[in-house]
Amino acid sequence: MSKKTSATHIDRRGFVKIVITFLGTIMGVVIGLPGISYFISPALKAEKKDDWIPAGELESYPLGTPTLFNFTQTKMNGWERSSQSYGVYVLREDEKKITAFSNVCTHLSCRVSWKEDEKAYLCPCHDAAFDIQGEVIHGPPPHPLDEYQTKIEDGTLYIHLQEG
Amino acid sequence: MNEEQKKAYKKKYKEAKQEGVRFWPHIIYKDLLMSFAIFLLLVGLATFVGIPLEPKADPSDSSYIPRPEWYFLFLFEFLKFIPGQLEWVGTVVIPGLAIVALFLLPFYDKSQVRFWKKRKIGISIMGVIVLAMVGLTVRAVATTPEMEETTVASSVREQVVQGEDLYSVHCVECHGPDGEGGEIQGVEGLEGVTVKSISSRDEMYTRSDETLAAITNYGQQDLGMPPYGLAYGGPLTKAEIEAIVAFMRYTWDDRIELPPEAVIATLPAWEEGFVPSYEVEISRIVKRNCFSCHRPGKDDNNNYLMGSYEEILTTGDNVENNLIPGDLNSYVYQTITGNPILDPDTGEVLIHQMPLTKLMKEDYIKMFEAWILNDMPETVEEAEALMATPTPTPEPTTEEATEEPATEPTITPEG
Amino acid sequence: MENAFKWLDERLGLNEIYAEVLDRQVPKVNWWFTLGSASLFLAIMQGVTGIFLTIYYVPSPDHAYDSINYIMNGVQFGWLIRGIHHWGASLLVVTVFIHLLRVFFYGAYKYPREFTWVTGVVLFLLTLGMGFTGYLLPWNQRSFWATMVGTEIAGTAPGVGGFILRVLRGGTDLSAVTLARFFSMHIWILPAVAMLTVGTHLYLVIRLGISHIPGEDE
Repeated sequence: MSKKTSATHIDRRGFVKIVITFLGTIMGVVIGLPGISYFISPALKAEKKDDWIPAGELESYPLGTPTLFNFTQTKMNGWERSSQSYGVYVLREDEKKITAFSNVCTHLSCRVSWKEDEKAYLCPCHDAAFDIQGEVIHGPPPHPLDEYQTKIEDGTLYIHLQEG
Repeated sequence: MNEEQKKAYKKKYKEAKQEGVRFWPHIIYKDLLMSFAIFLLLVGLATFVGIPLEPKADPSDSSYIPRPEWYFLFLFEFLKFIPGQLEWVGTVVIPGLAIVALFLLPFYDKSQVRFWKKRKIGISIMGVIVLAMVGLTVRAVATTPEMEETTVASSVREQVVQGEDLYSVHCVECHGPDGEGGEIQGVEGLEGVTVKSISSRDEMYTRSDETLAAITNYGQQDLGMPPYGLAYGGPLTKAEIEAIVAFMRYTWDDRIELPPEAVIATLPAWEEGFVPSYEVEISRIVKRNCFSCHRPGKDDNNNYLMGSYEEILTTGDNVENNLIPGDLNSYVYQTITGNPILDPDTGEVLIHQMPLTKLMKEDYIKMFEAWILNDMPETVEEAEALMATPTPTPEPTTEEATEEPATEPTITPEG
Repeated sequence: MENAFKWLDERLGLNEIYAEVLDRQVPKVNWWFTLGSASLFLAIMQGVTGIFLTIYYVPSPDHAYDSINYIMNGVQFGWLIRGIHHWGASLLVVTVFIHLLRVFFYGAYKYPREFTWVTGVVLFLLTLGMGFTGYLLPWNQRSFWATMVGTEIAGTAPGVGGFILRVLRGGTDLSAVTLARFFSMHIWILPAVAMLTVGTHLYLVIRLGISHIPGEDE
C-alpha cells in the first residue's frame, strides 16, 4: 500500500510516525532544555567584586620580607553564606614602594608560601617557585603571581580586591 | 574486515567453544571464587586498615597541601612536566586524546590479529603508557611533602579533650582556668584589663556555638582579644576552634548533657591519705592552671616548662628549688599557696604567687602538698604503692592558703 | 512444587532464560577473565553500602563531616559499611582497569565485540567519575582541597574552561552548592547512566559469548 502512495499524500503509517516524532520532540525539549539550564544556571551568574580591603597599619609590615596578610570576604553561594579566604603577601621594599601579591599559584591555584631561607615563594603542588618580585623561577606556572593594587590612607594599607 | 575474515573468526570461536565449558556452573564458580577473594580483601581492609582520619574541611586553611585520590595522582604528577603556557595541553588535550583513542581503539585497529606476540607495537605502546602511569604515581607518592600532624577528634570525648588542651594553652592567661575572667596579669599589652566571665550562665545561655566560634575566630579586637582563627592570622584551624567551643559548652553549660561515652573522669575531691600521681591528677591541674605560661615560646616564666613529668622536674632557672622531694619549701608549693619567693638579701619579690591572679582550688593545693610530700610519684602504680604505706605527716606549713578558691565553675566537666 | 514452577515458567519463560543466559557453552578461560564479574560484584557492593550510607549522611557543609563521624563512631558497624565503600571504590578502579588491560591484551575488543569495548570504556570513565564525585562527600580537608584543584584542572580548558569550572562547582567557589550537586551526581545521575551501560555491556557479553584466548595463529 505504501508503495502506491504519492509524495503529496500521506498515508496513515506515515502520519503516525510524524505525530510520534513531533510529540516526542516537544516532550523532550520541554523537559530537556529547562533541565539543562536548571543544572548549569549557577554557572551563568557572573559575580563582580570591587572592594578596598583594609590590611592594617603599614608600619606593622617589616621592610624587605614578604608578610602574609589573610582576610575573608563573605558572599552568597547559592543559598549559603560562606566566607572565602584570601591571602596576600605584602612586601614593603622601602618607605614608599609596596607590592601585594596574591598567594594563589598561577598554575592550578594551590597556595604558595614564602620561604625565607630559599628567598622564594614555593608551591607545594607542582614544585613551582617564584622570586620575591613574584616572577617564576622554575616550575610550570604560566605567569608571575597576581598583584593587587594598594593604597595608603592615614597610615593604613588598603588592598584592592577586584574580581569578575 | 571482510566477510571471509568474519567467517574465519566465527569458525575459530566455535571450535574454542566446543572445547570449552558450560557457563553455569563452571564460569560462575570461578567468578565467584574471585569475587569472594576480593570480598575478603575488602572486609580485611575495612577492618584492619580502616579510613584515615581527616580534619573537617576548612576553606580558610590554605596551608593544606592538596592531593587527589591515588588513582588520579599520575595525572597530577604529569602536570609538573608541562610548562604553564601549555597547561591546557596537559590537562585537557592529552587526557582527552587518550580517552578518544581508547574509545576508537576497535575502529582504527581493524586487523584480525589477536595473538599478543603478533601485536608487538600495540602491546608495547600500552605497556609504556601503563608503566608511565605507575611510575608517575610512585613518583607522586614519593615527592608528597610530609603533612604536619594534626590531631583529629573523632568523637565528642576526644573533641572535648582536645578543646581543653587548646583552651589551656591559648585562653587561660586572660580568661582563667575556668573561664572566670578577672583582672589580667602578666600578659603584654593587656596588663590590668578586666575580663568578664565567659563561663557564666549569662554567657552560656545566650551565646550559640556559632557565636562562640566566631568570637574565637575573629577575636573582639575592640576589647583587646586578638583573632585566633587562621583566616584572621591566628594560630587555630576551624576544627580546633570547634573543639574549644565544644569544651566550653560541655564543661560550663549546665543545661547540656554529655553523651555517656564522652564523660571524662572528674578529678576526685581531696581526701586525707590520698596520694596523687603526676600521670592522673597533677598533670591535669598543671595543664589547666600553669601550662599556658609555662610552655616553650613564653617569656617571663623563669624558663620553667611544665609540659611533662620530665620537664616539670628538670627545667627552670630555679630547678633545684622548684620541687624538692618531701619539702614544702619547694618554690612550687610556696607560690601556689600565695607566698611569693623573696630575694634573701634585698627582700625583693623574685617569684610572685602562682597563678598570678588567683589561687587554685584548695583541693588542688592539697593534692600538690600530698604529691610533694610523697616525693612526687609519676605513675598511678607508684602513687598507690605509697598509699599503702603510711603517709609522712606534713610539717606545719608556714601559711595556709587563705583565699577562698573559685566556687563555680570548677575545673572538670561535671555535666 | 513442580506444578507451581511450571505455572510460572509458562508465564515468565524461566527455562528460556536459563538456557540463554546460564546454560551456554563458552570457551575455556583463565583467571584474568574473572575480573569483569569481579567488577560487577564490587559495583553492587558499592551500591548496597552506598544506599546504607545515605541513611545517615547529610550532604551539607554544616553536617556532612559530622554525619560521617557519626557513621564511623556512633552507628554500629558504621565503620564496616563506610570502610567497604571507601576501599571498594579503590578496588573497583583497579579491577576495572585490569579488566580493560586484559581485553586489550587478548585482542578481545576486535570483531564482533567492538561495541562491547565502547560500553566498557564508558564504564571505566563512569567509575573514575564516581570516584571523583564521591571523594568530596566526606567534606574533610583532603577531599575539599583535592576537589578544589581537581575542578581547577577542568577549568584550564581553553575558552570554555571557566564555564566548565562554574558548572562543576555550581558557581565560582567550592561551596554548599558544589557538595549538593556532587552528591546528586554521585548517587543518582552517574549510577543511572552506569546501570544502563552495565545492562548493555552484559547483554552484549551474553549475546556474543565470552571471548576465547587467541591461539598463536590468530
